[in-house]
Amino acid sequence: MNNKVLAIKICAPAGSGVMQISELLCAVLNEAGFYSLAYPEYPSRIRGGDNNVQILISDRPELAPQNKVDVLFLLDENLRNDHLKDIKNNGQIFSTATAKIDALSEVKQNPFVKNTALAGYIWKTLGQDLAILTQQIEKKFRHKHLVENLNAAKQGYDLASKIAEYVLRGVKEKIINATGNKIMADFAVKAGCEYASIYPMTPITGLLSHLSKKIETITPEDEIFAALSTVGAAYAGKRALTATSGGGFCLMSEAIGLAGMAEIPFVVILGQRPGPSSGIPTYSAQADLNFAINVGQGEFPKIILAPGDLEETAKLTLDAFNLADIYQIPVIILTDKYLSENRFSLLQKTIEKIKIKIDRGKRFSANQKNYAHYQLTKDGVSPRAFPGETTFLTNSYEHDEKGFSTDNVEIRNKMMAKRMKKTNGLKGGFEIFGDKTSPTAIIGWGSTKTQILPLLERNTKYKYIHIWRVWPFPIELKRELKNIKKAIVIENNFSGQMAKIIQNETGVSVKAITKDDGRPFFQEELNKLIKQNL
Amino acid sequence: MSQALNTNQLPTWCPGCGAFVVGAAIKNAITNKKLQPKNVVICYDIGCSGNMANLIDVCGFATLHGRSIPVACGVKKARPELTVIAQAGDGGLLNEGLNHFVHAARRNDRITLILNNNQIFGLTAGQQSSATPQNAISRATGRINETAPLSAVDLAVASGAKFIARVPETDLKLMQEIIQQAIVFEGFALVEIIQPCKIWARDFKKTEFRKITKPFKRKTDLIGQNNLIGLLYWEK
Repeated sequence: MNNKVLAIKICAPAGSGVMQISELLCAVLNEAGFYSLAYPEYPSRIRGGDNNVQILISDRPELAPQNKVDVLFLLDENLRNDHLKDIKNNGQIFSTATAKIDALSEVKQNPFVKNTALAGYIWKTLGQDLAILTQQIEKKFRHKHLVENLNAAKQGYDLASKIAEYVLRGVKEKIINATGNKIMADFAVKAGCEYASIYPMTPITGLLSHLSKKIETITPEDEIFAALSTVGAAYAGKRALTATSGGGFCLMSEAIGLAGMAEIPFVVILGQRPGPSSGIPTYSAQADLNFAINVGQGEFPKIILAPGDLEETAKLTLDAFNLADIYQIPVIILTDKYLSENRFSLLQKTIEKIKIKIDRGKRFSANQKNYAHYQLTKDGVSPRAFPGETTFLTNSYEHDEKGFSTDNVEIRNKMMAKRMKKTNGLKGGFEIFGDKTSPTAIIGWGSTKTQILPLLERNTKYKYIHIWRVWPFPIELKRELKNIKKAIVIENNFSGQMAKIIQNETGVSVKAITKDDGRPFFQEELNKLIKQNL
Repeated sequence: MSQALNTNQLPTWCPGCGAFVVGAAIKNAITNKKLQPKNVVICYDIGCSGNMANLIDVCGFATLHGRSIPVACGVKKARPELTVIAQAGDGGLLNEGLNHFVHAARRNDRITLILNNNQIFGLTAGQQSSATPQNAISRATGRINETAPLSAVDLAVASGAKFIARVPETDLKLMQEIIQQAIVFEGFALVEIIQPCKIWARDFKKTEFRKITKPFKRKTDLIGQNNLIGLLYWEK
């Protein structure tokens, strides 16, 4: 067992409140000074089946799911055989039946609090103080069934005995937890987003729930409306957002092209999951990279950001709105089920210190006579007017500076050049970790950052390049790869999409290490793969 | 006719096209209502009538085929103080974007929908649309249209629209009066304009219209009465 990280897994049929326990346990763990990570796996069903969540507990921030856990907790004996393989050699297994949680008086009376009784049981196992749990339960259940939950937690707690080797000590600083969806919603609102139209789809549905509490949201007839009404709201001058997964993104292609041609700031969150088609809808993937880069007919500039952890998610959500306004183009935030729905933890101050800067880009000025929406400028970006300020024409057809439709050769060539050069000035797009001078490099993009970073803590001899802006391709990467003898790209897709892009853009040959079964790279697995390949 | 809202562009329409009348009616309605052009947004569909985007000096937005409604709804949600019009042809409304029509009416999105119904796909040269009359022969295919057309008015009734009107291209006065009422109406308003294409629909059987002077009290009574014109239903 790795002494610094304790991994537990809780398994139950859907509808038993496994997600609730993981939320509660993460909150109490953070309160007690631990970093936590909750990695859920669930099928696409509402009741029954096998929902499980792996919870990592540690006094250090970098955490990634493991193949095998230290302790397994079952809410249903029927799931035992399926999960025996998930336990380490010296691990332990508890079920609510054999541990007699099912027989507790509160659970017998109110079976719906069985999950809270198990939380109490786990909390004692970890040797932690009941008061912290009680406090969080009072917060979480203050409106409903508080007494029942408090009783259940206490009875579960009293039933267990602490397991000395699992007793951990936390850190002093304030730790919080959140899913990627929650952070994107919070920072979209901080960026000034006032309108969101989202058709529900795993893994971004959580965004809709968070946003609907704060701003005007619409659950429309389809993703076509979601995307095009977002174009409309943005055109009208408000910051607006839509979000979807691959299937919905197919329907949004035309809106993204419209935003590209008509030069409308458009922000869309694409939460990847395994395709093709309906695929494995409740799992994770990074296989829509090529799709996002190539979405829509014709050629138009777009920016694709791929955050790797909560802090980066917050920053890039803010950036997305600014970049969309500055360049008047579509900006895609590429997330996945892993980043969107995992419950990660971090220091509260890390999130609090993120600066909120709002840049609406070049704007129309009131004394401007004879305004032309698509005025030709040196950098390709024209000042932008909102309806109500002046009359102007916005056009999905090729158009002249005034916006009037045209098929004139000279104007067409000028307008293509104008649009295509808008993002030329972009710099950076990646970050380097580990040994910056190492001749061997690990390359990743998006959510694999949280899987690769923990590995670097144990083995610092690698150079790790994390790409957070996947498009336009960060061309400065070419310089970084110049002295590299061997490089591998870790990605959650079948064909190594990023590896091919890197080879194409830099001319440097890199090897793709891929995994496309919906699950992330587990710690033990990634360790082995890197040793084998570098 | 109001000159104030003209641009310096020339229309691309064929001689005699009903879209000339509709363009005039929209401009007159905006002027008569004393709306400032910069506070009026018109989202256009793709097709012959959508080319009106180049001809009216307001905040115009040439969107995509079948998608003028979603863009218009987004504008209105973001900026409720603006006057927002969505224009669509029968292809864009009854074929490609039908879904949005039904839902915008159901949600009572506060936009005016102007349907230029020329009963055919015009710009692509005469294929039958969902508004092509039954038994009419479309010139592009040479075949008899065996299916009955969809009625925008019937769909609006079924979807819960609060303002429903139908006007023939031949009555500019009625058209601009109704558009004037529609653009200040606090809810979803459908104004269907019957303007059979002068090129591809010229052999279609002409409808004998009957003008009504008082809107229906019960909107379900409207269903199936496709020859009625005027303000057909109005829920204040």
